[in-house]
Amino acid sequence: MNSLLAYIPALPLLGFIILSLFGRRSPKPVIAWVGAGTVCLAALITIAVGVAFMQSTPANGAYSQLLWSWFRVGALSVDINLRVDALTLVFIFIITFVGALIHIYSAFFMWHDRDMARFFASMNLFVCSMLLLVMADNLVLLYLGWEGVGLCSYLLIGFWYEVPSNSRAANKAFLITRIGDTALLIGLFLLFKELGTLNMNAIQQQAPQHFTTGSADIVLITVLLLVGGMGKSAQMPLQTWLPDAMAGPSPVSALIHAATMVTAGVYLIARMHGLFLLSPVTMAIVAIVGAVTLLVAGCSALAQTDIKRILAYSTISQIGYMFLALGVGAWSAAIFHFFTHAFFKALLFLAAGVVIEALHHEHNIFRMGGLRKRMPEVFITFLAGAAALSALPLVTAGFFSKDAILWYSWSSAGGTSVLWFMALVGAFITALYSTRLMLVVFWGEMRTPVHQQPDRGMVIPLIILAFFSITAGFIEWPHNMLHLSLFSDHVQQVLPATVMKRDLPSEWLFQAIATVITLTGVYIGYMLYYGKSGVRWQQSPPLAATRDFFFSGWKFDQLYNFLFVKPFLFLTRVNKSDVIDKLYNGIAQAGLRLNGWFSVSQNGSLRLYIVGVLAGILFIITLQLLL
Amino acid sequence: MTNLQLLALLPFMVLATAAVVVILLIAFKQSHTVIQVTGFFMMCAVVLAMWFVRDTLPREVPPLLVVDGLAALFTGLIIFSVLVVGLLSYIYFEEREENPKEYYILLFLATLGAAVLTISRHFISFFIGLELLSVSLYALIAYLRNRNNAIEAGVKYLMLAALTSAFLLFGMALIYMETGSMEFTAIGNAITKSGTSVLFLMGIGLIVVAIGFKLALVPFHLWAADVYQGAPAPVTAFIATVSKIGVFAVFVRFAQAIHLHENALAVTVLTVIAIACMIAGNVLALMQQNIKRLLAYSSIAHFGYLLVAFLSGDAGVGAGVFYLLAYSITLLSAFGIITLLSTRRKDADELSGYRGLFWRNPLMAAIFTVALLSLAGIPLTAGFPAKFFILTVGVQQHMWLLAVVLVLTSVIGLYYYLRIISTLFASPPLSPAKEKSLHPLFYAATYTSLVVLMFLLAWLGIFPGFIIDNVQEFLVIR
Repeated sequence: MNSLLAYIPALPLLGFIILSLFGRRSPKPVIAWVGAGTVCLAALITIAVGVAFMQSTPANGAYSQLLWSWFRVGALSVDINLRVDALTLVFIFIITFVGALIHIYSAFFMWHDRDMARFFASMNLFVCSMLLLVMADNLVLLYLGWEGVGLCSYLLIGFWYEVPSNSRAANKAFLITRIGDTALLIGLFLLFKELGTLNMNAIQQQAPQHFTTGSADIVLITVLLLVGGMGKSAQMPLQTWLPDAMAGPSPVSALIHAATMVTAGVYLIARMHGLFLLSPVTMAIVAIVGAVTLLVAGCSALAQTDIKRILAYSTISQIGYMFLALGVGAWSAAIFHFFTHAFFKALLFLAAGVVIEALHHEHNIFRMGGLRKRMPEVFITFLAGAAALSALPLVTAGFFSKDAILWYSWSSAGGTSVLWFMALVGAFITALYSTRLMLVVFWGEMRTPVHQQPDRGMVIPLIILAFFSITAGFIEWPHNMLHLSLFSDHVQQVLPATVMKRDLPSEWLFQAIATVITLTGVYIGYMLYYGKSGVRWQQSPPLAATRDFFFSGWKFDQLYNFLFVKPFLFLTRVNKSDVIDKLYNGIAQAGLRLNGWFSVSQNGSLRLYIVGVLAGILFIITLQLLL
Repeated sequence: MTNLQLLALLPFMVLATAAVVVILLIAFKQSHTVIQVTGFFMMCAVVLAMWFVRDTLPREVPPLLVVDGLAALFTGLIIFSVLVVGLLSYIYFEEREENPKEYYILLFLATLGAAVLTISRHFISFFIGLELLSVSLYALIAYLRNRNNAIEAGVKYLMLAALTSAFLLFGMALIYMETGSMEFTAIGNAITKSGTSVLFLMGIGLIVVAIGFKLALVPFHLWAADVYQGAPAPVTAFIATVSKIGVFAVFVRFAQAIHLHENALAVTVLTVIAIACMIAGNVLALMQQNIKRLLAYSSIAHFGYLLVAFLSGDAGVGAGVFYLLAYSITLLSAFGIITLLSTRRKDADELSGYRGLFWRNPLMAAIFTVALLSLAGIPLTAGFPAKFFILTVGVQQHMWLLAVVLVLTSVIGLYYYLRIISTLFASPPLSPAKEKSLHPLFYAATYTSLVVLMFLLAWLGIFPGFIIDNVQEFLVIR
């Protein structure tokens, strides 16, 4: 099994190389087969590896394959070493399996785009980088994947680069995630300075001996890692890039900005749990960041009118749940939510893509409507996704994962009632905006006619994803209902078990409250948006102002514009003729001036040359006599 | 002289024989091609002889000569350069000169002179080697006697070389007077015993003048541009590589023997000279439009860098040898391109003639680009590790001033190298195709060797470790 690991990232890389070298001249079927085929093969290998892993857990709890030594400098030796343990297995399964479905979908979705080869090349490179990120056994290789996915995200957000706003969105995503990347890099440097290694296993083992719990070093390092994760995972206050990232094609949003890349921060924190556990302060910060983010983004999702922006804010909010779970030490719950979220959010994005295509690139949900009858497959699958998102009890995957987070946000050692309450409000908001989205798009009268039905090849991935959105939760039941905990048993080979408080109230009570809250959210959504009842209450001034505030994403863009962009532009205006440049210009000027002076000596006259030689001798002798 | 000593000198005897063989071939009225091919094989024979005697090293041949690892390195470098220069000479002289045959006698004699310099451990052999080299060079520079600036260059070189040779002899005499010996090691022993007197230091100063002239160090550099420009392109390549390698070799040996870098005064003088070289060479090249003159200025700057390694003492010798290797390969490929582009009447030395070369002849432009990047010290070419090693030893010896000047002037240097490269890729003017009268085989051979040089540059740039290890291995043979 070990020797198969390399093929998992290598196949998409091969696809990238083929497509980027020969893609321009290849016929479309070839592009589609290479682009989607490599990822499908990688998915099959992953499943084979996964099955083998389940049947007999390998020694040390991981498969690993050393490909080659990357570089050795002093004490630092970095190997290209792939390592698949239980945690990584979950991630590579999602990346390749959901990735394969999205690639198949894309083959149809992008068929009429003239840059199909470029699209698939970037997507394949993305899959390869993401796999490297999660399969790396050291942080340097992880960082390579980390940067790779950032690059691909940039390329794919700006895929339709001829529209200036798309390029701007790509730049924004790149620059803001860069803030996080820089913090991560500094964190890695500090970690190397402290421990002298960047190998993850070594870090996990050495950290408890090296750092005292809560010391300044470990707090600083973990906060820097957290900021890195916040950038990639679009958490407060670095969340502003993700809604704009919806400028990319829908499959990109599904793969990169919902299922995989944006959860890199979750992976990083889970992977580095040994460090984070040493710093309770950072854990609290992680939980608070997650809780605040899920509320802020949830409220913004309520007010959006663009179908993809609703889903984008929803993604931010759901990743907020994952961060919350990480912060309270509910490691497996966080990963479980990642697992289910990948299915239903990818599904929602893909279905949204179908809807948008069918309605002449209409993004505004209030100009959709009545699609229930016209696009029944999309309706059913979207319903499954939205139900999972709003966590309808027992019948959806989202319920099982979100319920676990809600429970742990109170009951785990790091949990508090405030966090639980915030998560509960978030659950209410989630149900509300999911219902709103569903009702406005699929019920009511049809405002834009459907001009084409989706291809079969696009519907089949939707159905598969819908199936998993409903059933993926059944592998992990709440303890009080059924003793089935396949998922947490699996990931707890790597991640520590959640530490619980004592003397807790019954879990049933919490589940009842959560269920009631969710159903209330759905009901209120139904009241407000079914039919035309919603129009009147929106007109009152305070509500309209609140809506505008939420619509603009809590004015974060304006705030950053005021805090950073404006002062920066001011500085550039002031410093138009760069002060620093003066130094370089000075060197150039001095060079030219000296050139003029020295050139005089090169007049071709032999006498002068002899004078030069004699001057040299005089110089040497004088120096000798002086010293 | 024992057999083993004789054996150790075998490569040099083969080299001397080469000149004789060429004379005989001319006497029997053989064609240019035959002489060229024979010369090539004679040089290969020298390489074989060096391989053959490698186990007998180190071997002293008192009182004049010593064949050790240092000598082997420098001689190898010289023979390698001459192989390429010889190859370039064929197409160059076949086209331009009805009588190119005697050229090879001079070429091999000059090479012998340079090779003798690398093994000399005595003033006599030093002087004989230097004169053998210089006298051959006078004729070589002025070999194309129909060209005005060739004659001018030859005469200038002759006058200045004679002047500095006089200083050299005077300096040697002063040192002999003070120490009573002309053997490097004996001089070294004498001064460790009795210290350095003013007259001795003055003698050193005068020798530095002569060496500075040969290496074109500031302020003895003024001839360089005129001679580089006037001499035939292959001869310019020869001056820039072989003659400088030989002189540098004897300078290194002399300095090691008399512990020059422990003498504060000499170090001060050489530091000033090195800084002056780096600044003057780079600055003079800035606006230069003539490629051969530009390369002259560039080589002044490069020997300024090399002096930084030299001043680092024993630690710098390995870096210096590596630098010379990288520099020789680079310059030979650059001059190879100049030779290939030269027309019957005129060398291709005007920058305007290179405009758009890439669109006419991508291979040539690629080779030239790599060579220029290497001269500028851009990573992935040989110039980068070479400069890096020098900077490293400089910093290790705490020569901060030199290191700073090296870095700053390298930045200035970047400008004029990139200026040429941008010219290569500019849109081309309409120009008639160059007529090719020679057998295509010779062009193929020249191109092949240039491509090999280009790959060598890249190889040295990417994997310098192999060469540097071998150099260090050789240097301990002493």
